[in-house]
Amino acid sequence: MTMTVPASETITYAQVRPPFWRRFMDGLPRGTGLFFGYGVLFILYLPIVWLMILSISGEPLTGIPGDWTLTWYEDVIYADIAQRDGEAYGSNFRVGDPLLLSIGLAFATSAACVIGALIVGPVLPRVKRRGPLLIGFLMPLMVPGIVAGVGLFMWYRLVINVKMGVWSLALAHFVWAFPFALLAMLVVASRFDTRLMEAAEDLGASRWQRFWQIEVPILKPGIFAAGFFGFLLSFNELPFSIFMRAGQDTLPLYLWIQSGAHNTTVPLIYAMSTLVTIVSIGLTFLAIKLAFGGGKDGKQ
Amino acid sequence: MANSDVAALRTAGSDGDQILQVEHATHRFGDVVALDDVSITARRGEFLTLLGESGSGKTTLLRIVAGLERPTRIARIAIDGEDVSAIPASRRNCTTVFQHYALFPHMSVGQNVEYGLRVRGIDRDQRRKRAEDALTLVRLLDKYGRRVHQLSGGERQRVALARALITEPAILLLDEPLGALDEKLRVDMQVELLDLHEKLGLTFIYVTHSQEEALTMSDRIILMRRGRIVQEGPPTDLFDRPASRFVADFMGVENLLEGTIESVQNGTASVRIGGHVISGAWSGAGPAEKGAAACVAVRAERVRLAPHGVAIDEPGVNTLPCTSGATIYKGKYLDQTLDTDIGPVKARIWDRGVDVNDLEALWWRESECAITSNENGAGAGSGDDA
Repeated sequence: MTMTVPASETITYAQVRPPFWRRFMDGLPRGTGLFFGYGVLFILYLPIVWLMILSISGEPLTGIPGDWTLTWYEDVIYADIAQRDGEAYGSNFRVGDPLLLSIGLAFATSAACVIGALIVGPVLPRVKRRGPLLIGFLMPLMVPGIVAGVGLFMWYRLVINVKMGVWSLALAHFVWAFPFALLAMLVVASRFDTRLMEAAEDLGASRWQRFWQIEVPILKPGIFAAGFFGFLLSFNELPFSIFMRAGQDTLPLYLWIQSGAHNTTVPLIYAMSTLVTIVSIGLTFLAIKLAFGGGKDGKQ
Repeated sequence: MANSDVAALRTAGSDGDQILQVEHATHRFGDVVALDDVSITARRGEFLTLLGESGSGKTTLLRIVAGLERPTRIARIAIDGEDVSAIPASRRNCTTVFQHYALFPHMSVGQNVEYGLRVRGIDRDQRRKRAEDALTLVRLLDKYGRRVHQLSGGERQRVALARALITEPAILLLDEPLGALDEKLRVDMQVELLDLHEKLGLTFIYVTHSQEEALTMSDRIILMRRGRIVQEGPPTDLFDRPASRFVADFMGVENLLEGTIESVQNGTASVRIGGHVISGAWSGAGPAEKGAAACVAVRAERVRLAPHGVAIDEPGVNTLPCTSGATIYKGKYLDQTLDTDIGPVKARIWDRGVDVNDLEALWWRESECAITSNENGAGAGSGDDA
């Protein structure tokens, strides 16, 4: 303890006036970092919570919560059903078809991501010069969605002549989500011990048995993660969908258009967004539990 | 010379007695020749050891037998009389115990052991019964339901053993199975493997870099170096009759004295080293030739000490005057370096009563040393070919 006293006298830089950023940092009270972190979380979640509160308020457009009601939720559900049955309804907010399309696209993208990641993921860590290949696969992460969207539109429409609509949407969603799915798979696949495949072969397992009984179970967390990323990224995707829609509305696209068009449907958007958020969070927890909760055997 | 031995063996014994025949196997990894025209056979029920340092080709040879490696060139490979050159690893009647265990982390101990039966479509009840038998064999029956990561290293290797044995293969291949275990466990497992070999009467092909392990366990040892066979024979052959300086060195002979052959008579060679002539049985691969470089191989435990004024009254001994050098305490014995006019000689002293500071000479019996070719290069035969 006494050692510090002579030390501070002999070390010369202690006498120099520190630069302002050091004086600033030194002056910050303990816990500033944590406080700042909580601040970010607050900024992120407050609007979502606020939106949820307004979605059960009587006059959401005033921005003042209160007069609690579930009428907007009723409208979201019944407006579509009523109009489908040919009845007139107070609101022409019809979220059923976009919702179904989005769910369908999300499942398709998810499946395609799992299959693609399962094909590429285990091979990539074993390729000799994998650096450029890896960059190639992950590059789409860094291309802005709008730019890629325009590019894909030109390409599909003018060059390879894909039928615009559901197919172009599905392709675009896959292009968008696959790098994330692959990345998730690579985390698991790069740790996969390929000697296990040799051991299985040595014990008499056929190619299919090695794949199905050894590789797939061990890569399970990566498979779940890839599928999960594929689903959520497709379900929430907007920039690509704008260019690829060709008359088809996905849920985010529909909500985006509605929120810009009619004041009367804004409360319904609040309600719909709340529902989507709750279901998304629920799915996320479920996926994490499925992938990692029961995965004690995956870790060693 | 190794190949001609194999050929001799083949004509002598009947083919039905040989469970494994590998003829002229060559394997290259790019420019590196891992295996250079090697032929081996194994008798039914034999404990055959492939011994060598890393890069000697022993593991490559084992993997070729298993089918996990496709040789660049091979004349024939037969397991139990059946040519398996075109048959993949999954359908060869042999299984491997790997150094790194390679147990499936997502399966329980029981599921690991049963795997070979599961891929063969054997029903659950029978699988379970046979897995329990196999686990009993390695004394791990109570671990059936355990997870792999709950086991110790020794237990994992025993599970790997049970997993390899359950399909009742014609040959069990063991690739440095004790390499990852600590000293004490290794010795215990050696005994356990020997018991198992005796109990099952199965052919074991065992890869190791440890001469001590090879000597303890094998019926026959094949010593390899740079993709070729240097010497093969029963442990006593390699231990007492090294075919070259390399073999003697690898088998742990402490004293290797270099000289030139002065005379050869009835399998006994005399070698001149400095002002001394040392005699012993010739154990080199080819015939001993007068004037050729040779190496006298004497184990430290064979070197005896003669204190001042005590006459050595035994015929047929080699004697060197000496003075005492450095002593290393080893607990059970002392490693004593003795300085002679032809260089230092190591002796192992068990008798604490010996006064090493009052020595006149060291000596050993002619029958307890080997004179061999001074070859330290690749193959035993390559020097004769040139």
